[in-house]
Amino acid sequence: MGKNLKLKSARAAKDMSQKDIADAVGVTRQTINAIESGDYNPTINLCIAICKVLDKTLNDIFWEDDRNE
Amino acid sequence: MSKKGLDEMQLQRKNKVGNQSFLILMYLLMLDAGLYGFGFRWVSYPANIMIILNICSAVYVVRLIKGNAYVGPSYEKEKPILRVVINSVVAILFATAIILFLKNTRFNNVNQIDSMAAPILFITSITAIIIVTLTGIIRKIQNKDDKE
Repeated sequence: MGKNLKLKSARAAKDMSQKDIADAVGVTRQTINAIESGDYNPTINLCIAICKVLDKTLNDIFWEDDRNE
Repeated sequence: MSKKGLDEMQLQRKNKVGNQSFLILMYLLMLDAGLYGFGFRWVSYPANIMIILNICSAVYVVRLIKGNAYVGPSYEKEKPILRVVINSVVAILFATAIILFLKNTRFNNVNQIDSMAAPILFITSITAIIIVTLTGIIRKIQNKDDKE
């Protein structure tokens, strides 16, 4: 599983730290870090919570196509 | 999120570490039983079981802490200093009481230590069960008060 750069860039666009997102969705900062670095595959509930915080859709953050993996 | 306060990645890690620790425990107990079958007793019963259990528990806790799966995000926010202080004081008092009890109990020979080991283990496990039950009841009452 590759790095989730879309999440990282969406977070940066919102000017939020990993800790900010983690607090907003109720997980630890390490979990957000693991998702961004591709070490952890989050559940759909957590994906939706992250998308809501970042005002993005699931496709925007978590969809992987062949060109953009 | 989980009632225990751990997030989903922490729960996943905790389960993984727990499964591995359980397998280590089973392997060590079987190894111990096998060695006993061959007539090799490295430590007399029940100390051998206690040592194996302590090793596995220590490995479990250390790996949980190392993997950041011991304390959940809600506890990080709370910073329960008072609770930590109370727990530390109770733990120190409990440890002191055990040390004093063992110090005052004069063992004349090794067999007496063996005969005392079973009651000590029994009392410790009963105490642990009582503490866990009381903690669970208190937590349940608090959760009802908070309307979670």
